[in-house]
Order: sequence, then C-alpha cells, then structure tokens
Amino acid sequence: MSHNNQQLIDAANKAILEQQTRRHFFRECVTGMGAMAMGSLLGGCNWLGSKDQSGLAAINTNPLMAQAPHFAPKAKSVIYLHMAGAPSQLELFDYKPDLQKLDGQDCPQSLLEGKKFAFIRGVPKMMGPQANFKQRGQSGAWISDHLPHLATVADELAFLKAVQTDQFNHGPAQLLMHTGSARLGRPSMGAWATYGLGSENSNLPGFVVLTSGGKFPDAGKSVWGSGFLPSVYQGVQCRSEGDPVLFIKDPAGMNRDLRKASIDAINEANRQTYEEFKDPETVARIAQYEMAYRMQIAVPDVMNINDEPPSIHDMYGTQPGKSCFANNVLLARKLVEKGVRFVQLFDWGWDSHGTDENLAIDYGFVNKCRSMDKPVTALLLDLKQRGLLDETLVVWGGEFGRTPMQENRDGKKMPFKGRDHHTEAFTIWMAGGGIQKGVSFGETDEIGYSAISGKVDAYDIQATILNQLGFDHEKLVYPFQGRSFRLTDVHGRVINEIVA
Amino acid sequence: MPLPKPTKLFWTVLTIGLVVTALVFYLSRSKVDYNAEVKPILNEHCISCHGGVKRQGGFSLLFRSEALEVNKSGKAAIIPGDASGSEMIKRLTAKDPEERMPYKHPPLDQKDIDLLTNWINQGAQWGNHWAYTAVAAPTIPSNKTGFLGLGGKPDWTNNHVDEFIFEQIKQNGLSPSPQAEKAILLKRVSMDLIGMPAPETIAQQYLQSNDPQAYQKLVDQLLASPRYGERWASLWMDLARYADTKGYERDDSRSIWRYRDWLIKAFNENKPYDQFLVEQLAGDLLPNPTAAQYIATAFHRNTMTNDEGGTDNEEFRTAAVIDRVNSTWETLMSTSFGCVQCHSHPYDPFKQDEYYQFLAYFNNTRDEDTYDEYPTYREFHNKDSLQLLKLEKWLNKNAPEQAKALQFFVRTGQPAINSIQADQLTNAALADTKWLVLRNHATARLTQVDLTGKSEILFRYTSGKPAGIWEIRIDKANGPLIGRLQVPATKNGWNLGTMPILAIKGVHDLFFQYQNSQLSSPEESGMQFDWFYLTNPFPGKGLTGYDTAFAQFKNLIHAKDVTKTPVMIENPANMQRPTQVFVRGNWLVKGKAVSAGVPASLGKLPAGAPNNRLGMAKWMTDPQHPLVARTMVNRIWEQFFGVGIVETLEDMGTQGIAPTHRALLDYLSWQLMHDYGWNLKKLMKEIVTSATYQQASNQNQTSQQKDPYNKLYARGPRVRLSAEQIRDQALAVSGLLSDKMYGPGVMPYQPEGIWNSPWNGAYWKKSDSVDQYRRSLYTYWKRSAPYPSMISFDGATREVCTARRIRTNTPLQALNTLNDSVFVEAAQHFAFKVQQQCPKDSKLQISKAYELAMKRPLKPATSLAFEKLYATAFDQFKKNPSSMKAMTGPLPAHQEPATAALIVVAQAIMNTDEFITKN
Repeated sequence: MSHNNQQLIDAANKAILEQQTRRHFFRECVTGMGAMAMGSLLGGCNWLGSKDQSGLAAINTNPLMAQAPHFAPKAKSVIYLHMAGAPSQLELFDYKPDLQKLDGQDCPQSLLEGKKFAFIRGVPKMMGPQANFKQRGQSGAWISDHLPHLATVADELAFLKAVQTDQFNHGPAQLLMHTGSARLGRPSMGAWATYGLGSENSNLPGFVVLTSGGKFPDAGKSVWGSGFLPSVYQGVQCRSEGDPVLFIKDPAGMNRDLRKASIDAINEANRQTYEEFKDPETVARIAQYEMAYRMQIAVPDVMNINDEPPSIHDMYGTQPGKSCFANNVLLARKLVEKGVRFVQLFDWGWDSHGTDENLAIDYGFVNKCRSMDKPVTALLLDLKQRGLLDETLVVWGGEFGRTPMQENRDGKKMPFKGRDHHTEAFTIWMAGGGIQKGVSFGETDEIGYSAISGKVDAYDIQATILNQLGFDHEKLVYPFQGRSFRLTDVHGRVINEIVA
Repeated sequence: MPLPKPTKLFWTVLTIGLVVTALVFYLSRSKVDYNAEVKPILNEHCISCHGGVKRQGGFSLLFRSEALEVNKSGKAAIIPGDASGSEMIKRLTAKDPEERMPYKHPPLDQKDIDLLTNWINQGAQWGNHWAYTAVAAPTIPSNKTGFLGLGGKPDWTNNHVDEFIFEQIKQNGLSPSPQAEKAILLKRVSMDLIGMPAPETIAQQYLQSNDPQAYQKLVDQLLASPRYGERWASLWMDLARYADTKGYERDDSRSIWRYRDWLIKAFNENKPYDQFLVEQLAGDLLPNPTAAQYIATAFHRNTMTNDEGGTDNEEFRTAAVIDRVNSTWETLMSTSFGCVQCHSHPYDPFKQDEYYQFLAYFNNTRDEDTYDEYPTYREFHNKDSLQLLKLEKWLNKNAPEQAKALQFFVRTGQPAINSIQADQLTNAALADTKWLVLRNHATARLTQVDLTGKSEILFRYTSGKPAGIWEIRIDKANGPLIGRLQVPATKNGWNLGTMPILAIKGVHDLFFQYQNSQLSSPEESGMQFDWFYLTNPFPGKGLTGYDTAFAQFKNLIHAKDVTKTPVMIENPANMQRPTQVFVRGNWLVKGKAVSAGVPASLGKLPAGAPNNRLGMAKWMTDPQHPLVARTMVNRIWEQFFGVGIVETLEDMGTQGIAPTHRALLDYLSWQLMHDYGWNLKKLMKEIVTSATYQQASNQNQTSQQKDPYNKLYARGPRVRLSAEQIRDQALAVSGLLSDKMYGPGVMPYQPEGIWNSPWNGAYWKKSDSVDQYRRSLYTYWKRSAPYPSMISFDGATREVCTARRIRTNTPLQALNTLNDSVFVEAAQHFAFKVQQQCPKDSKLQISKAYELAMKRPLKPATSLAFEKLYATAFDQFKKNPSSMKAMTGPLPAHQEPATAALIVVAQAIMNTDEFITKN
C-alpha cells in the first residue's frame, strides 16, 4: 500500500473515530451539555477517555468538524428554496382544466363542510387556473407559461404533487416544514444536518440562510434556529447588503495587518492564561479567534458576486449591489461549491390573497414568478455544468398550497383575484442530489382540491432530505428532556418513489 | 503420612458447599435498592415498551400497581416474593428468541437478571426517586464519627458546604486548592452576585484591606447593591421567557416591562422565595392584591400571543396554557412534565390525566389570545391617578356595594366578554380574527352569558355610519328582545357605549342583529366590537358628584396615558371553562373531563389551601414539596459553579443526570426552607463564603486526570461570562455604563436589517445617549429577532422558557466582541479613560488598562505582547492619519496615533479569554 493511501486511510479512520466519539458523546452524555463548552469539552462524561488530557486536544473537538453520516450519501449539500407565503400550485404545476369549467360558480357545500380556512368565509366562488399550461420536455411535465425558463429543465425535476400539511397559518406551517413541529422550540432541518454532518469548510458556517423579498419568513428566525441543539448549529444569516455576516467587518481604521497583529496579541495573552490556569476552554478560544480571522476573509470572498463572469450574471439575472432573490440563488451555488452543507433561501411575498395588487394572483404573483423563474433555472443548469447537481439536492416549495376557490375574505368580494391558504394538496419539487429526473409523484382530484394518491407530508420530505444526505431519519436523534428527539418526531417516510 | 486422594464424594461436597456458600451470600446480601440498582435497568432495557408511552402485552413497569397486574398473557409478570413464578424473569431467561426479552435486543447480563430476581424475591418494592421525596433534615458530615479522621486539613472548612465537598475530595485522593488570589476572587464574586464588576470604591476597599473579614464585607456590600436585583432578574427572565414582543408571525410589541421591574425590586428587597413564587403564580388570587402582586402574575403572561390573521384564538390560548404548565414544571420543579401531555410519563411517576388536572389550574384565566392581550393591569399616571383616587373615594362613600367591582373594572377591564367569542355569523365576521364586525342585516351569537342581576351592557366599539340599529335577543335568533340601540357613528377609533337590557335571570345565548339603511353595500362594515361588559347603570344617580364620578369612570377606561401590563385574572364563577384531557395531546380531540389537582406522587395541597392556582402555589412552596427548593438551590449553584449539583437543571427525574453531591443539595435546600426562611441572599452568602467557592481555579496534571470536569470541586469554578455580563462588563470597564434603572426596553445600537417581521412596520429606533449604555437586561427583546450579541453568546430567544443555557465557544463570538460597535465604542472610551488616568508612557498605560480590566497586575510576558501590538498600531496610524481618525472618532482632541494605538490595545485586552471569563 502506498504511503499516500495509508495516509488517506488513517485520515478516514480518524474521521470515523471522531464522528463516533462525538455522536457517542451526544447520545450518551447529552444531558451533560450544560457543562460542555462546545469547541472544548468540560463536562458531562469523560468522552475522550483518560488518554488525552493535555487540553490542547480540545482544538480537535471543533463541533463543526466534518462527519460521516449513517450510510453513503447521495447528496453532499442541500439548497432549499422556500417561497414564503406559499405559491399557488394551481397556476404553476398542478394543471386542472376542469377547474376552469367551474370558474365563477359557487363552491359546492361538500368541499366546505367541516373545513376551516384562514380567510374564506361562507360560500366562495371557484376560480379556474389563471395561467396557460403546456407539457414540457420528454417527461411531459405540466408547467405554466409563468415559468418559461424552468420549463426548459423540466426533465431534471421530480414533482411531489400531493403534499399535505395540517397547518393553515404561515408561521406554524413554515415551522412544521422546517423544524418538524408547528410550535416553536425545535431545531431546524439545517441545524439537524449540520449537527449530523459538520461543515466541510472550517472557514465558513455549515448552515447558511439567505432571505429576500423585503421581509423575513413569517415564523421568524426560528425556522433556521437550533432549538434545543447547541447554538453552534443554528443557521448563520448571510446578507447581500451590509456585513455579509454580522460583525465580520473590522471596525473603521483597522486594516487586515493590524487585525492580524491584534489577534496575535490576544492569543499570546490567551496562551499565558492557559499556562496559568490550564483550562482547555482557553485553547478552544485561541482556535476560535484564529478561525474568526480566516472567516473574515472567506465569508466576504464567497459572498462577493462581482467577480463572476457576465455570462453567469446574465444567466441568473443578478443585480450586483442589491438585495434580491437572484443574487441569493447565485450565492447559494457559490456556498455549496465551497462546502457549505445546507443553504436555505427564503423569498417573501408569495401570499397571493388578492388583497392588493402585489398579492394578486393575476398580477403580483406573475411578477414573483418572473423573478424566481430565471435564477432557479440558472441554478440547476449552473450546478449541472459544474458537475455539482448530482451531489446537490435542490428543493423548491412553500409551506402550504392555495385554494381552488377565490378568496372572499370576511365573506366579501376582494379587490383582486386571490386564493386562500390550502392545506390539502400542494406541489413541491426536488432536483439533483440522487433524486430521479423527470418524474412526478402524487395526484390531486380534478379540481386540485384534495390529494387522491401519493400523499406526502413535511415529515416525509424531511425524511427524504436526510436520506439523501446519508441519514436514517429515525436514527439521527438528540436526547433532550429524557427522550430522543428527531426532526421527524414519530413520523416520516422516505419518498422512495422519487429517489434514484 | 500422605494425604488421602480426594474422592468423588469430596468434590461433590466441596461443590455443594461452594454453591451453598454463594447462595447464602447472595440471599443474605443487603436489600436491593430500587432507585440505585433496579430503576436504571428498567429504564435502559424495559420501559420504552413497558412504561408510560407503550404497554406491550398490557405490561407496564412505571407504577408498582400496574406492574403487578395480570397481563394480556393471563399471567402476572411480577409476583412479589416469587421470582421463579414471575413471568418477567422467565421471559428474561427464555431460550426461544420470540419469547425472550428484551424483544429483538441482546439479553440482559446475568448479573442484572440476578439482581432483578433478588429484587422480586425481596418483595419487588418500588422506591420513590430521591427528587420526589421531601427534603429531610440533613446530617452534617462533621457530626458523623470519623469525618475528620479521613486525614484532611480540618481548618480548610469555612462552613458546612465545605464539609460535604471535602468528604468527596478526600475519598477521591485529591486535596482542595488554595484560596484564589484576591483580584480573581473579587471578579468572581462580583460577576456572580451583581453580574458586573464591583464599583471601583468597593473593589479597592477590598483589595487594600488586611481585615480578615474583608471578603465577608465585600459579599455583604454586593448583596446590598441595587445591581444585585438586576443580575438575578436577568437570569429569571430566561425562566419567565420575558420578551418585549408577542411572538409568532407579526411579533408586535408588548408592554410587560413592569414585570421585569417587579423582578428587580423583588430580588433587591430579598422577597422570600416562597412569597416570590406565590405572587408570580397567583398574586391575583391573594386577598386584596396590590398592584405589584397583579404585576407579578405577568410571569405567566409572557407566553406568546398570535396576531397572525386567520388564526384560531382558542388554539393559541390553549398553547399558552400548555406553555404555562410546562414552564412551571421545567423551571420551578426541574421536571419534564411536557412529556405527559400526550401520554403518561415514560419514566417518571406522572399519569397523563394528571397533566390535565394540573392544567386545569391554569385553564381559567381571562386571557384569550386577544390582540390587546386582555386582561391587562392598568396603571394610571399624573392627573389620571388623581382622578382614580377621587373616583374610588366617591364610590366607597356613595355606592359601597358596587365600588369594588367598578374599581376592579377600571383597573383591569374585567370580567368582560371578548367579541372574538361570537359565533354563528351571518353578514358578520371576526375581522382579522380579532374583532367582531357587523354589516347590514347581520346576525351573531354570544353563548352562555349570565344575565342575572345585570341591566346594562357596556361595550367598546366603532361605528362607521350613523343610524345603525343593534338589537339583542335571547335564546334564539327570533327569541325575546332584551335590548335595542340606535348606534351613532363614532370618530377617532374606539368608543364606549352602553345599552340598557331587560333584567332577566339565568344564563342565555345572546343573538345580535344589526341593520343600517345607510350602508351602501352588503360588504360595508356597520359596527365593530372589542368587548362587552355585563353591568348595571353607573350607581348613585341623583347624588352629589354623580356626574363627575361617572365622567371620571368613563375617562379612566379610555385614558391614554396608561401603562398596561398583561396579568392573570381568574374567570369568575359564571365564566368557568371545563378542562378535558386532550387525546394523544391533540387539543382538538377532547377526552374525559378532569378537575384541578396535583400529581398523586407529589402529595396533596396543604391543609386549608383552596383548590385553585393559589392553592397550587401554596403546595409548591410548602416545605414538604420535594422539588421547588432543590430546583432553586441547584440553579444558584449552577450560576456560581457553571454546572448544577444536578447538571440537568431542567430535569431531576430518573432520566436527569444524577447529583454529584446529593446530601449537599438537600442540606442547602433544607437551610433555604427552614433556617433561612426562603431568604435567597443568606443562601448565596453561605455558598460564596465557603472555602469551596473561594478556591483557585488553576488546573494541574493531577486534577485534570482525576477530575477533568471539576465534579469534585477540588478547585474553584472557571466559567465564561453570560451574554449580558460580557456586554455589561465592557460598558462598565470603559466607564460608559449607565446606572439608570427600570422602564420600557431600550434600543442600543444594532446593525441595520435585523428586524424584518411581516405585517409589522416596527423598526429599531436607536435610543438616546444614556439609554444606549444601560445594562443588557433593559435591551428591548424581540423574540423573532433578538439583539445579536445576546444570541451569539448563547442567550435564549425566549419563545419558550430556558431552564439552562448551553455554553458554546464559536468564531462568531470572537467576531462579535472584535467588531460589534458596542465593543468598539467601549474600547475607545476605555482608552480615553486610561489616558486621563495615566497621560504619558504607553507602557504604563497598557499596564493601567490591564489592571482596570482585570483588577490584577499585568505580567511581563503578556505585557510584551500588548506592547508589540501597540508599536505596530502606532506605526500604522502614524503613516495613515485617516485610519487613525477612523479609530479615534471625530473629536480632534483624541486624534493622535498614540490614542488610536491604545484603543487597539484596549480592544485586545477586552477580547482576552481572561477578560470574558470569571477565573
């Protein structure tokens, strides 16, 4: 065996050992987290055994160290594109010509009895699709004219057309989708993934969040929070305006050389402190200051899209210097390219109730589609041309769907065309990352009201995403309050029908 | 003579003899300890299938009564005294893998099976987990014979705490560390008691004193400081999930800072802990509650309120009630009671019904997830408070019978019916699910209204068009008419109206009808309601002062300059909600009805206590309650030592981590309840004056090997400061910190774009000069977007309670203290302060800065590092005046390379591990 190979194997063994040790630690001594300062280990149980007490070993206990999952992963990273507010499946992917025939008629009582809607009251009118549909590509997927670019890559996509939820308010529904619980306090999917996998790039966070549309998602920062997991696993919000990561920029008057000198002085003082107190925590702090310094270079670098060639800007429709969805999509590609595990995008403004022009299904919604269509398509093509699509799982969707009925808020006619929140059926698609190409799973009835086959829910989607990352969703657990918690709670089934 | 050869008989006898000896030894062994020996085996191997969640084969090991039942197989798994007849032992040893337990898992070790066998033979007694048994009078180690015979130095102990600690240190072959040097102790105890450095005068007094009592005096001074209340309120705010916003989607502002101020005062007054809890849990139910006692109940109004349009208010009312139950248990009784919401507790002795019995204590408060967070306690200011005094005087004199109810209404607006309770709406709606709106030809219903003794409805409303006719009928839509009103148009938002109604007895459904010919379309709103108050005409008509008093009454209800704090108000007898079990925890699936009660495994309400929230609070604070004192003692210990005696502050149950010093925990809990009369300052003083606490925290090879996590306390604690303490310390050392106390949350500088809630135009408005530099507990806390440095240093988002913050060590923290302008500004001011005190020599300045920050002298080796940094910085700033000016700020007096270089060094000092850690 060559020397190089031996080195590789040693490294792999070491990685596995460390991974086991850390999971062991979390599994066996979890409740001991309080005493455990991440980055060093001070408490709980004696997880390093008695062999290495030097304190300096603490540097190796970086909680974001890359980890091996349960089995060989099909995807190394995930880009989750969440259209906050919930886009209408009926104008994009779930083509229902029969609904057109019912346009303007009273909704049958059978669809209203025992149902609850966020805003619809009394008897609303049915509303046909407000878009033209065509079948696209080899797969013949129905995609409306609102998404002319995406239509060209239809054969890359796997549609889930019978996604269901039990939450009809944005906040709880977004929480359910991303944390597996409609109530606050659980870790988000990205936090779970980072907890399980660590980060491949120690100069960048493992879980990055980008928002656009002028507002945060309705459920606030909890949709990328770490819940009861240590805060080191929460999503780090990167911003395309201001500091790309909060406090990444040195204060005015401090240049890089001086910052280096100042970190050297801080760490020299810390070394003296370590000599005095012999506290492993101090060694971990030295490492964190070093890493902070490297992040100050790595983050602005990856967040800078100006150096991308014009062809890429054209492809994505980016607007350098501004804060917009297209920029975030390009950033998502750059981030996964650099080894970030989980990139979560939230684009706000998809809540097409018809209460005003921007939220009209026949106006504001069409604009939102336009601003989303080109960059998302570019992302798929760009990942593909870089050979990254196979190992990057792209997920697109909202927190619920929209009603086949026109909204009549408070029982009144609305100023614009709109649809209410709908929990019984909506569409999410996935692409890349070991997902089948050009398939569709799940069906709704002839008016798109109910799912009739291939029903899936948030837990199934979470189970599938974890599966692609190499995790058995039932085994990625974190003991808390006397029991093992997992992202999918007591639910979830991998949607094998779309897994390649 | 040769010995005879051993015969077969000999071997047989020998074998039998050995077996008998072993058996005798085995049977004669002391009684099996259920908690220490049996329960861990059951928890690890059995209970996930045979416990509170699942009962495979009908068998549960949670309670003895359940375990002895005959199961689905027709056999009893456990027959006390007869292990060989017990199915459980047969199944543990069965050969057939289908039969053998644990099913589809490796068999138990023989020694565990033997132990279980013994236990059953000994009668299969269940034991109470220690934490569910009342605290008993402690035995002090020195009262035990032979304690000091262990060979330590007896003069090490300062007080009883040390005796408990010393015992274990010795047993493990370690010895205590020497006392920490004064400067280190000063910082440690200041951070622990007041959460920031001690004021300079107190600090110098201590450092320069040779008095052996100097440390005691320092402790007394710190405990007497108003900063003490701020520090402990800051901790309690995590438990109370205090925030200045309501949470959920819109996350609008909430005014509840009066509760924060109540906490500070309560800690500073050293309110006994039992009273402190009773007032927060049930202050409203105390006899003649004071304003402060109402405000205290805001503890459980820190639950979230959902303003998102289209939400079901009952769902979020229920969510808030559940949160109150779970928080009460997790933070005040170290029990993960939330598990019991869906099923009986998997490990601990709580049944599912008991969850809902306990929930019933919280299920009858007036709050209903309304937009204005009713009920609120209204505190009047200036002219209004004078008006209220006059009104109260007039009512007491002229209408003594109604006075109390009317004063209560002015103060709390209760008991009113919220308009969101209306249903059966036709041409009517709950606008944004917040207010009842009636349109032309509207009907709506209010159910189950008690009309007895009432002849008027007072209501809050708006009306867009005049000439609307509002009628109320009872029992059915076309039932008897009891009231009719022509409703004028209103201006300027909400108005108060009154409608006389027929005096009728009994509980009725009220049917509203509304018509207005001036409404142009069927969709136009006629009138909108906020609430209804069933009452009688304002009393004393015809008496002197009636008009004035009535006007004052109405003015006060609508007064603008009012501080409103959400509080707990109990439903009156005629508005009680029944409580039902939620089947599998789903609030929409209601099971059997339950009445209020406490879990059977934790005793009963004390004699004479009412069976309501107040009685529940008295139960919790009764010295027989096993968890409340232990939980608080454990929490205070954790604040001082970084780890609790029971590490899992949130769970002392059988799945929590076992205590390191259970006898000490019990001793301190006993002291707190009995000898100290729940006096927290006395408890803290005992701990911080112990020799244990005062040890140096330096580690060495031996201590690292024998006790890497300092579970034995053979050295002092060394713990990173909390988020709040890090910021407060930086401001204090630089001289920027304001000592202003109390008031609404303040908004120090924060970067743009942190706040961005949908449907909420609120924005972070930077406070004026003083308010920017207040202690961190006054920083406005927005749940969905908390102040960034609080979160990077492991602060909680406070959506739900946080029993324990998990400390992490990340590069984002480094970036925070390096680059957040709060810390940059603090470094600037720190440098200016040092220059003032020490104008010339840069080397002197550096050591001065270090001394001011750490209260101890700078060592030469460390000094060299900072001197080198100073020189580098000085050179750079000399060459580059524009960066020099950027570093020093706009004042020309500061714009010198020397100043800029000193700022860089000050910043470095404030970023050292030593600075952000109590050593």
